[in-house]
Amino acid sequence: MQKNFARLAAMLALATLLVLVACGGPAPVEPPSTDGGGGSSGGDSGSGETAPTVEVPSGSGGSSDEPFVFGMLLVGPYNDNGWSQAHYEAGLYLEENLNAKMVYLDKVNPADRPGTTPDQLAEELVAQGAKLVIFNSDDMKDASTTFAKNNPDIYVIMASGDQVWQDGKAFQEIPNLMNIMGRMEYGKMIGGCAAALSTETGKIGYLGPLINDETRRLAASAYLGAKYCYEMAGNDPAELDFKVTWIGFWFNIPGVTLDPVQVSNDFYTTDYDIVISGIDNPVNLGEAAKLKAEGKAVAGVAYDYVAACEAAPDVCLGVPYFNWGPEYLKAINSAIDGSWQSQFIWAGPDWADLNNHDTSTIGFEKGPALSADDAAMLDGFIAELAGGLNLWTGPINLQDGSAYLADGEVASDQQVWYLPQLLEGMEGLSAAE
Amino acid sequence: MLKTRFGGVLFQAVAFVLAMSFVSLILVAVGASPLEAYKNMLTGSVGSMRKLAEVLVSFVPLLLVTAGLLLTFSAGLWNIGVEGQIVLGAIGTTWALRYFVDSTLPPALIIALSILAGMFAGALWAAFAGILKTFGGVNEIFGGLGLNFVSTALTLYLIFGPWKREGVASMSGTEPFPDIFSLPQLPDLRISPWALGIALVAIVVVYFILQGTYFGLRIKAVGKNFRAAYLLGIPTWQYSLYSFLICGALAGAAGALQVTAVYHRLIPSISSGYGYLGLMVAMLINYQAIWAVPVAFFFAALNIGSIQLPIVLKLDSSLSGVLQGVLVLFVLLMEGVRQKFVKKV
Amino acid sequence: MNVELKNIHKHFGKTHANRGINLTIPSGTIQGILGENGAGKSTLMKILSGFIQADPGSEVILDGKPVYMDSPASAIRYGVGMLHQDPLDFPPMRILDNFLLGLPSSFFPNRKEATQDFNLLAKEYGFSFDPENYVDSLTVGERQQLEIMRLLFLGARVFILDEPTTGISASQKEKLFATLKKFPEQGMTVIFVSHKLEDVENLCDRVAVLRGGELVGETKPPYNTSKLVEMMFGKVVTLGERQPAQTGDTVLSFQNVSLEDTRLKIKNISLDLRAGEVIGLAGLEGSGQGMFMRACAGLVRPVSGKVILKGRDLTGKSYHTFKREGVNFLPAARLEEGLVPGLSLTDHFVLAEEPKGIFIDRAAGQKLAEDRIKSFNIRGTPTSTVESLSGGNQQRAELALLQSPLSLILLEHPTRGLDIESVIYIWSKLKDRCRQDGAAIIFISSDLEEVLQYSDRLLVFFSGRVSEPIDAATTSVEQLGQLIGGKNWPEKGGAHA
Repeated sequence: MQKNFARLAAMLALATLLVLVACGGPAPVEPPSTDGGGGSSGGDSGSGETAPTVEVPSGSGGSSDEPFVFGMLLVGPYNDNGWSQAHYEAGLYLEENLNAKMVYLDKVNPADRPGTTPDQLAEELVAQGAKLVIFNSDDMKDASTTFAKNNPDIYVIMASGDQVWQDGKAFQEIPNLMNIMGRMEYGKMIGGCAAALSTETGKIGYLGPLINDETRRLAASAYLGAKYCYEMAGNDPAELDFKVTWIGFWFNIPGVTLDPVQVSNDFYTTDYDIVISGIDNPVNLGEAAKLKAEGKAVAGVAYDYVAACEAAPDVCLGVPYFNWGPEYLKAINSAIDGSWQSQFIWAGPDWADLNNHDTSTIGFEKGPALSADDAAMLDGFIAELAGGLNLWTGPINLQDGSAYLADGEVASDQQVWYLPQLLEGMEGLSAAE
Repeated sequence: MLKTRFGGVLFQAVAFVLAMSFVSLILVAVGASPLEAYKNMLTGSVGSMRKLAEVLVSFVPLLLVTAGLLLTFSAGLWNIGVEGQIVLGAIGTTWALRYFVDSTLPPALIIALSILAGMFAGALWAAFAGILKTFGGVNEIFGGLGLNFVSTALTLYLIFGPWKREGVASMSGTEPFPDIFSLPQLPDLRISPWALGIALVAIVVVYFILQGTYFGLRIKAVGKNFRAAYLLGIPTWQYSLYSFLICGALAGAAGALQVTAVYHRLIPSISSGYGYLGLMVAMLINYQAIWAVPVAFFFAALNIGSIQLPIVLKLDSSLSGVLQGVLVLFVLLMEGVRQKFVKKV
Repeated sequence: MNVELKNIHKHFGKTHANRGINLTIPSGTIQGILGENGAGKSTLMKILSGFIQADPGSEVILDGKPVYMDSPASAIRYGVGMLHQDPLDFPPMRILDNFLLGLPSSFFPNRKEATQDFNLLAKEYGFSFDPENYVDSLTVGERQQLEIMRLLFLGARVFILDEPTTGISASQKEKLFATLKKFPEQGMTVIFVSHKLEDVENLCDRVAVLRGGELVGETKPPYNTSKLVEMMFGKVVTLGERQPAQTGDTVLSFQNVSLEDTRLKIKNISLDLRAGEVIGLAGLEGSGQGMFMRACAGLVRPVSGKVILKGRDLTGKSYHTFKREGVNFLPAARLEEGLVPGLSLTDHFVLAEEPKGIFIDRAAGQKLAEDRIKSFNIRGTPTSTVESLSGGNQQRAELALLQSPLSLILLEHPTRGLDIESVIYIWSKLKDRCRQDGAAIIFISSDLEEVLQYSDRLLVFFSGRVSEPIDAATTSVEQLGQLIGGKNWPEKGGAHA
């Protein structure tokens, strides 16, 4: 009996852990809705910088009636309401806008698929006829390189990586590979601005995941947006308190990460009335809703998922999100018509219409908690950005006080991409201790 | 008849059929053809040499872990911490490879030393759980779980901290090691015969330890009756620790092979859940070493075969996990039924 | 109720536990079932009470009707109830609740009514309980009474009692017998299973004797004891002669040893034990004799004083050091402390030997097991797991595990629950080992006759006090009984010898 109980207990522990492990995967991002209407791949949204083109040795262009088969490897479940679903729905968008057929495999990570590597799984997709394979996560960076080198006839898109960025720190020449990433910096700036416009206490908390260049630059972007708008609202930007707390991973792993619920609560109960989420799920909103019910004036900014505000609309100021469809469509078209170039694309929003799913790689949905006045000011800020305002302009110092940008100096993409520290004026760790 | 070995196998066969039926029912419920699904899983796992090699890649660490767990289970210990011991094995191996990467030693020696370092690190991690249990009175399940968390945190810390790669620290792991530090693979196949050899030697050794040595018999005595074993003159807590150490070393070897034969670097989920899967295998085979190879192979084949489900049939591939879990539950259930039967008869 | 057992067969694997037993028990009798351990008594009773099922072809006929009972619950529906060696109840519950628990679930627990019924029934059979009292406040004898009442309440007409007189006091035994003797008047049948001749002779109207799974004879009073013994064992058995005290070199010496645990303190024991000597420890359970024995084994460390074994000071050393010096401890809880359930006899013998190399020589182990099984007369095979053996055979297995050479054998209740033949056998083996190895023996027993019969000297324990060593030859059971009860002790505690 006792033994059976022990078995049961262990099974439960085991199941819990499996679930925890299985929830893996990086930042889920909002899935763009697939309004089949606009078939054009138009809208020259701020397309990223183009590396000198390298011709792919053998381009197997598309014949007109055979559908073009493309494969997609998703790090999480295809229906994760986040990062992977956003890619999956971009795939559906491609099927609707092209004579194309998707083959995909989800949960591509060692915990869910023990003993496999993404490059091996990509070969499974090729066996199903895929001529182009999309690797959707930073987790698969090395595997995408390996796969692209082993399969020179297959086009490869590596989302969020920088291997083929000529000006990047780890450039490799891989003619059949393309990097695509969205300029979420803008989304974060807008989110930071919304936070600064709404704060009463002048204190903003940022719920950070783990620390690397990407998460540092996103937190810094939120800070830059916040600082700018705080001043715009007539306050002294030096008095803005902006604190980043890193929980240690993209989501809560009990025992490993800090509990984001607890971190949010700590923020809200120590006068940080606005918390911006930088992690996979907007737990800050849940905590804010709870405190608001107790009469505290608090709110939050979500991340990733277009409908994230629905979790707690009353306290949601808005959500910045990714929309992968337009850039993928362009890339596939280039593979079909033979104009493929290995390049690093860092695509920004369509300033003409931020939330246009056919044109804008980055979007921002305002939340119900944003007051009408603040919303108007936020629109003003967005218009300024559209008009060429660049907050990554000096003078800006790094957190340790060293100069980052001289007065009037505009940050290069490299400087932003590889941001070495948080910025001066931000509180929080710049590197893992 | 029901008491005999054959009776046991009969019950397990019934459990297997029940589990398959249960999963088939689920498949029918979601409108899929079970036959089609099983056929795809079969061809997707043993349909070609290439697939078979991929199954073996998954089989190697699972078998190593199961082999280790057979010892701790025999000693009456629930080494849940095995997952962390795999992780530490991988960390130890990565550390050694980083240390030797620029040395002039022959690569084969470096690989061997690195695998040993991994085994040592795994054993060390298991020793923590063992010491907590023996001297701290901390149940090995809780101690092990805690150490698993610590190992995960340590991996993330290393990947995003001190062992950060050039450029952006990445979820993709540390900088991959040059190819010369990989265990040689068969031509055109992913499996390294060395890795497979290590795993098979491990299970054979464990089988003989348990079946034919004083050491194994003592471990079993400690597991079945700690107090009586002590009174019979067996240094009980030492044997508990030995079983932890060996299990940790084997789990460490699994982690070491993940680095040297599969991923060639340290990645965040390097242990791939093999520890928990190994616990399932060990329970399924009722701690009999002789069944470890076929059952571990079966589980590995499910892992690999199920990849075809979403690709070909657009089915959720967690089906294989469901089948594995259901199988264990049914086998435990049937074991309970059998014991009830035996008692009554 | 008339009980008829027809051609009862039962196999457990290869063991043929019941071999075609035919027995008719008329209504209104007290039937004794005699037999040594492993004779098949318990199997037969378990079949009759529905715990296990007999092989096909066997028949149980109650009042002329063949019945099939597949569980104790169905047996009780037919009116057959069994009282176990360890009464099955739930100690932290009130007596009444425990009582209600056994009733059919359709029975609505009306406490008031139930209390009345309970009191009425208790009165009828001469029991006195407070139904609101807790079960764990009862003695073993009282729990038996409670269990009997429960079975009565459930409508039992056939009562099976398996070794009911083990562990209860003489007065409780009298009471139990008085109760049982009332049953036949009401047409109820009592089946009394025991290996104690005296009990069976005092109580039963008729006796059936089992040996080796077969019914070997039935008799009625007046009983001829030696005939019964002969039937039980298939041969004539006599008690061993008292042997004179041996005096050899000092094996164990306690010098002013004080012991302590959470409940008890024993102060300043001094004792010299010589080779070949047997010392019995007497006392009520928990009076300190257990702690004393564990101190002799190195399992309890003295708070002060010295423990010298064969001239070596082992004070504070571990049990395993004591063991290496030839001290062997055989605990009373055989399957909990003495043996490893799940392992075979061969495994045990191999474990007890010094390892030779890394690999076990299976053939040698098998040979060793066969030899030991033969020389210790264990009923089992080398591959039998220890839990499949009967109590007496487990005890023999423990003896067979004694190491060699030996200096001191420590035994806790070495013969508890064993039949007389096993007792004699075990003591003769022990004395042999003593002589061969020049070892001494210390044993604990609650059987005063055994203590007096087999020890040379004895120590009496009474709540932490230890008597001077007493010469067993000149002590009577009565004197010993008084000492155990705390009477006739000298003014000052503490023993010196």
